[in-house]
Amino acid sequence: MWNKVELSIVVLVLIGIIVSSGTMIYTFNTMSNLSTLTDDVSALTENVGNLTSSVRDLATITALLAQSMGQLNQTLADLQARLASIEASLAAQAKETIIVGTTDSVELTLDPAQAYDYFGWCIMQQISATLISVAPNSSTGADFEPNLAQSWNVSSDLLTWDFTLRQGVTFPDGTVFNATHVKYSFDRAIDLIPNIPEGAPAGLEYNKIINRTDVLSTYKVRFVLNFPFSAFLGVLSCRASAIVDPTYAPLMTQVNYTAGNARGSTPLAFVGPYYLSTWTRVGSSDIEIRLDANPHYWNATSGYPKTKHIIFRFYSDSSTLRLAIEAGDIDMAFRHISPTDALDLDQSATVNVWWGTGAFVQYLCFQEKRAPFNDTRVRVAVAAALNRSSMCETVFLGLSSPLYSIIPPGMLGHTEAFKKLGDANYTYTRSLLAQLGYNESNKLAFDLWYESSGHYPSSADQALLYKEALEDSGVISVTLKSANWANYKSNRDSEIMDAYVYGWYPDYVDPDDYAFLYWAAWLHTNYSNATQTTLYDQARATANQTLRTQLYAQIDGMAVEQCSVVPLYVSGAWAVTKPTINGIYLDITQDMRYWLIYITD
Amino acid sequence: MGLRSYVITRVFLTIPTLLLLLTMVFLVMRVLPGDPVSLHFEKKADPLQMEQMRHLLGMDKPLWAQYFDYIAGLVDVNYFSAHGYPNLGKSMQSFEEVGGQVFSAFPATLELAIYSMIIASALGIPLGVIASKSYNSVLDHLIRGFGTVTYAVPVFFLGVILQLIFGVYLHWLPTGLRINPSVVPPPTITGLYTVDSLLQGNFVKFFESSKALILPSLTLGLILSGIFIRLTRTNMLETLRLDFVTAARARGLKDSTVTYGYALRNAFLPILTMVGLQFAMLLGGAILTETTFSWPGLGRYIVQRINFRDYTAIQGAVVMFGLFVALVSLIVDILYAYVDPRIRM
Repeated sequence: MWNKVELSIVVLVLIGIIVSSGTMIYTFNTMSNLSTLTDDVSALTENVGNLTSSVRDLATITALLAQSMGQLNQTLADLQARLASIEASLAAQAKETIIVGTTDSVELTLDPAQAYDYFGWCIMQQISATLISVAPNSSTGADFEPNLAQSWNVSSDLLTWDFTLRQGVTFPDGTVFNATHVKYSFDRAIDLIPNIPEGAPAGLEYNKIINRTDVLSTYKVRFVLNFPFSAFLGVLSCRASAIVDPTYAPLMTQVNYTAGNARGSTPLAFVGPYYLSTWTRVGSSDIEIRLDANPHYWNATSGYPKTKHIIFRFYSDSSTLRLAIEAGDIDMAFRHISPTDALDLDQSATVNVWWGTGAFVQYLCFQEKRAPFNDTRVRVAVAAALNRSSMCETVFLGLSSPLYSIIPPGMLGHTEAFKKLGDANYTYTRSLLAQLGYNESNKLAFDLWYESSGHYPSSADQALLYKEALEDSGVISVTLKSANWANYKSNRDSEIMDAYVYGWYPDYVDPDDYAFLYWAAWLHTNYSNATQTTLYDQARATANQTLRTQLYAQIDGMAVEQCSVVPLYVSGAWAVTKPTINGIYLDITQDMRYWLIYITD
Repeated sequence: MGLRSYVITRVFLTIPTLLLLLTMVFLVMRVLPGDPVSLHFEKKADPLQMEQMRHLLGMDKPLWAQYFDYIAGLVDVNYFSAHGYPNLGKSMQSFEEVGGQVFSAFPATLELAIYSMIIASALGIPLGVIASKSYNSVLDHLIRGFGTVTYAVPVFFLGVILQLIFGVYLHWLPTGLRINPSVVPPPTITGLYTVDSLLQGNFVKFFESSKALILPSLTLGLILSGIFIRLTRTNMLETLRLDFVTAARARGLKDSTVTYGYALRNAFLPILTMVGLQFAMLLGGAILTETTFSWPGLGRYIVQRINFRDYTAIQGAVVMFGLFVALVSLIVDILYAYVDPRIRM
């Protein structure tokens, strides 16, 4: 029995121990868990604290970020504003600069005592000034307006010309322009003639025209001429009459280009709308010319020049010039875009083509010292067989006009005298040549020469058309011959060419500079006519425009009878620009007045 | 013969060559019809004034006197030391020193020549190697075709095509001139715009002058690359057949090492000679390229001076070309002699 009790107690104790142990373990575990839980709760509390702190930080950061974003936005806005300002500045700068492309180049110098080329004169016109100028858009070339002279008077015998000068004109160094500068300029030009026989004053015969230049007062100057000369204003308006600055214009020495010294490269007084700021040449050809607005320009207060900077860039031929304007490399292309290209570009929306009148003429010369052209009837017969209209339409696509007087249309004294002979008037040609025994089986044969190195436009095409027209008469046989400019001039001087096409760019826009071509000795046609020369001198000696017109008409009338020189065509003029370029005037003077050109939006 | 003796001999041989060239140009220019005197008088030529001009230009002297005057000027050491270039006389048109004109125009031509040669070599030689490695394959035919076409196409035609594509239609590159018109050229140090702008540290000018160089040098370089392709291909084909190449391959060397490290180095001698010779052709080609791209270099200068019968200017430019070609030939000869000692024997 005890044993059973004892066993029961032992079992109970063991159960108690086990339960106690289990309870203790459970309690311990629970306590441990509770402790862990407490730790976790405290950690959680801490984390929640941290989280709260972090949230607070986040809020701060967010606030800061928002602030930074605001600043960033401000910075971006500032940046955009600055970029816009730079763009606006560039756009403004672009609006103040025109880049002009050309195939021209200054031939030798920018010294009026020597320069005798179109582009040299063009640059001189921008940077200096003459006493008077031809007004823009002039159709006659005789619309003179004041430039450095404000007014002028001429004596009734056309021998004494007085000019009242503009006051307040200054050179860049502050020197005030006055009458002594005018006298110095003309005296220098005349004194240099023996040294520079190929210069413009020599070609224009300043020494023969001007007897002396007198300073009457500070702002009055007088020219006394050797003979009455009605075209003197024309001479004074040409660039050979530009005013020089004695500081840079030695009296007995011409001024040549000096690398890196634009100011010292020209003796001109910088009294024009621009001054020459850069002139770079490599091997006698221009690389860059830059003109900047002259702050001392007498007409600056009127807003001239309209564009502050003009940069010239020089292309080797018309096709590369066309590519440059099409590509947008340049703002303006002037001289020489070919007629075909000009008409083609006229259809383009990306460029504008400006059309104007021209003053360049070409004419046919006959060698009269030997047969067959020593007979007037032969010359007249050939002149009557020419077909100017067909040539102008075919070769120049209508951009040049047939010319029936050596004096171009629009100018005083222009007539249509040669229309009397007609175009392709084969009946008349045949009848005249029949008198001399020429017919279909015995054709009049001669050589027709043309210049082949590009000195004149489309010379070969022209010659071909003249040959075709002449041979269409059925009684003329033409052999075409060509020579480059150097040889052509030699051939002219040695008088070996039967008939030859020649050209003339005017020095000043007046019939006086054209009419003499009929008998010009340097053309070597061996033609002279005392009556025509007398009429020419009479026209020079009168200011009566009606009388001058009549005299030139008489000269033309005689020229038709003699056909020593036969007018062929007068050129047109054109410029190609970006659509934003305005203010282009292409008038009979052939001048490009860059100070009138401006850029629009 | 040592390298120094060889160089001295070559230098002395250059002198009579140049003298012969100069004499020929002097005579040919004066035999040609056309009178530089009459060209001075555009409109009204007075016989007395023409005579004065003839005297001024020294053309009233006998031909032999003009010739010896010219030669005497060329060897005038005092003039050379004062001006930094030989006395090539004065231009018959502008009366400026021809030496100054020629040396001012030459850097533009040199820059164009250098970049064109770089393009031609960089394009022609690798393509030639590739063609030789893939002999008679489609790739070979394609490369040969490319070489023939680029060599056959006229300079001005390729130039205009590139101008149209990259200038007119894409507006990426300028159609001509040495630098963007709105950028002032860098001050002259060497006369090479890219080099001068770098020396000046002006990267805008470097970028603009490089842009302007791309089309003309690509035009000239592409045309020259045709010759390089054919020459490299032919020489590589011969070299790749040689025993040492087979031996190198048999020894397990990498194909690229065999091709470029061994074969091309051996095939390179005739190519190097051709590079030198092509410089002469490159200068000739530059006349057309300079005209197409309105590049104001010596080529364009010669064309303009010929139209004016400017005897002294043309003589000066030809002498400059001659000197340059002689100098390049001399350098190539020296390099050749240095690389291949048999030549000095």
